[in-house]
Amino acid sequence: MKLYRKEGNIVQILSFPNETVEKGDYLLVEDGEERRALIVQVIDVQFAAIPGVLEELLRSLPDGGELIQGEDVDPLEIAPHITYIQDATLLICKIRATVEDDSLSPSSSWLPSRSQSTIKKLPIPTLFKLAKTNGKLPITLGTAKDSSLLTIDASSLDGRLNIITGKKETGKSHLSKLLMVNLVQYKATVVVFDLNGEYLSLGMTSDGKRNVNYDKIHVLTPSQNFKVALKQVGLHILLGILVHALHLPGTSTREFRRIWKELRDKNMLTLNDLGETIRNWNCNQHVRDALFSRYHALVNCGFFTDNIAEATLLDESLSKANGEGGAIVINLRNTSAIDRQIVVEYILGKLVESLTNYKLKAVFLFAEEAHLYLRETYWDDIVTRMRHFGIFTTFITNQPDTIRENIYRQADNIFLFNFTNEHDLDVVSRASRVDAETVRSIARDLPPHYCLALGKAVRDFPIVAKVKALDLKTMGETRLFFT
Amino acid sequence: MDTLLPQQFTQLSLQSLSRSRQPFLQLNQQVFQQIGIEEHLQTLKLKLEPIFLHPIHKGTIVAATDTSTMKIAETNAGIVIAVRGANIWKQNDSYRYTRIGPFIFHITEENRREVYNSLEKSYFNSTREPIHQNAPNLAQMPLRIASLLERWLQAMLTKTVSNGVILFDGSLISGTADTPIRRMSEILSRGRERGNTVLAFSKMTTLRVNGCLITDLALDYRPPYLLETVGLKLKAPMLPLGEVYVAKLGKSNWAFRLDVDREVPSEQRIEAVGKLLGNDLVSQGYPETLRLAHILCTFTANEVLAMQHFITRNCGLKMINRPDMHRLLFGPFGRGESYS
Repeated sequence: MKLYRKEGNIVQILSFPNETVEKGDYLLVEDGEERRALIVQVIDVQFAAIPGVLEELLRSLPDGGELIQGEDVDPLEIAPHITYIQDATLLICKIRATVEDDSLSPSSSWLPSRSQSTIKKLPIPTLFKLAKTNGKLPITLGTAKDSSLLTIDASSLDGRLNIITGKKETGKSHLSKLLMVNLVQYKATVVVFDLNGEYLSLGMTSDGKRNVNYDKIHVLTPSQNFKVALKQVGLHILLGILVHALHLPGTSTREFRRIWKELRDKNMLTLNDLGETIRNWNCNQHVRDALFSRYHALVNCGFFTDNIAEATLLDESLSKANGEGGAIVINLRNTSAIDRQIVVEYILGKLVESLTNYKLKAVFLFAEEAHLYLRETYWDDIVTRMRHFGIFTTFITNQPDTIRENIYRQADNIFLFNFTNEHDLDVVSRASRVDAETVRSIARDLPPHYCLALGKAVRDFPIVAKVKALDLKTMGETRLFFT
Repeated sequence: MDTLLPQQFTQLSLQSLSRSRQPFLQLNQQVFQQIGIEEHLQTLKLKLEPIFLHPIHKGTIVAATDTSTMKIAETNAGIVIAVRGANIWKQNDSYRYTRIGPFIFHITEENRREVYNSLEKSYFNSTREPIHQNAPNLAQMPLRIASLLERWLQAMLTKTVSNGVILFDGSLISGTADTPIRRMSEILSRGRERGNTVLAFSKMTTLRVNGCLITDLALDYRPPYLLETVGLKLKAPMLPLGEVYVAKLGKSNWAFRLDVDREVPSEQRIEAVGKLLGNDLVSQGYPETLRLAHILCTFTANEVLAMQHFITRNCGLKMINRPDMHRLLFGPFGRGESYS
């Protein structure tokens, strides 16, 4: 390989057919005299502009577009040299760092010698060694392109905002399961909003047996094994549900606040008493109707109960998880849109409450297709306010434009799977921890189950890795008609 | 097929390169083009009565040969040249080719005689031919070596094709340094023995009538047709072995000088051109087979790079850029050697 040119932080390197370099690979451009080296990443591989190639190609097809048949007597065997030159490639590389005295700096202000520099592939383990990423809580994501293991540290997810995105069936849920399982093993508390019932079997192996995490996976299905009593909810959370999920108007909200206060004072916070109080409450008929309709919505969703014994699972699960680590899977499959919002409002309110009271240390929240249940104002809440309470969110989506731009800007880690749609790539490339060229060029060519890891987890060295397989029971498969 | 010459080409090529132990100077590649210097006496006349041609579609092989040479580097002692040739023939509506080379030679003042004489001797088994005591000078060597290869390829065609039309690039003038009369006569004679007719197309000519190039005379006839010339006399020792015509074979504006083996009867000459029209594509008045022969042997820039890569790798020689003296001396006013 030979250094060809540098423009800004883009370096072009000439590579020959016997040097197999692919998009995503890291190269070390070492200048012996300077005693410095550039770490560059290949973001595109192009044909080198070799003079005469067009003539060469045209010459091979002069017979009406068909290959002209013949024999080449090439006693000096020049033909392999022609092929060698013709197949030379130009590697478009992005400068990632400078190595000087075994330490890294983001500088790209110097220029290595074109004639004297040596260029070699930089194995991922060496890169990570240079980047000093040897944490104490390793999570092996899979294998990098050079077959070395790609291991991140769980602490790089701690207190961070993460996004897992990519086209359908590229392996997003698989990666999120992998992260969850590892976090649980490090005794972290994980809460998952499981829209399609994909995470229900995190405690089972692929052949249906219990795995080591079995006792740490708590599946809560709203209205079935997961109910709450009004007493547990608290006015603040319930108002959140009424206003944001059930769109209760302001005047009615004020009346509801009064009703709630009265019931609480009388220790009558039950569904039945709430209904009776609304019925007999002295207020405008329209307000009463509004309150009644919301009351019926709460009753009909089946999520609320007056039986305290039925409503202890979430607290129990959180308590268990807080000590030994565990994943609380909120199964939102078969739940209507409104009920989903009610449940999510409750869970988020409950988590903030528990974190505020230091009942919980911190929670890793995994939210799949969050736009389907997260109200508008929560997005900012999650990335700013809730982070300070200790809710560290990972958004998982195949529609990157459903996540707001400011979320991308503040994301600490992005795990990007294949995207071919330009618009989707545009959206993701707005993330501040990555340059648009890298995203556009590499993500477009990622095969299924390969992800481009960006951000703090990989010390801002974008790395392509094949996500490792998990011995978990597959759930949430698409129901098919023909098979 | 007689393969002595290609073997000798290979052997001498490797020998000449292996003896070199000095860095090669890279230069703007120079393509050598053979332009016939035909100092003819002012006796040439053109018959203005055209011979109209009719395509003869009777299945006839059309074959052509061409060679190419190029100086690819310079050393302190000499030059590095590459030579390649191609034979191409059209049969049953499809083209086939045999391409030979490239051969790379490092020609120096010391080895030029040895290289040239060895090639001459080995190739044409020329016990009858006198070996040149004075081999061509360095500047002439690329064309002379290419000519040797071209004659050999032409000889191969005349030995292998039967009842066909064989196309040469250039003229049928002999008696020049690279085309001795006997050599060209033998090639033509062998062709005739196998029922072939040799047609030689010149892309450029110096033949003039009344001061005007014979190919520039615009006549208002509907092509394809030939115009016959008479009275061509060349300065000794040059001898035309062909009858010279102006061939306007297509509707384009271009006419070409066409030499047809003069030992062939006049009717057969015209018939051969008819067979060419009936069996080959004629685009812009030029036969496709000959065009392909030229295309196949011409060196592309990519191939030049590959050959330089070959000599760097296989002979341990280093390519260095030759300073452009025009640029060095005259700065922005130096036109550079590419213009020189």
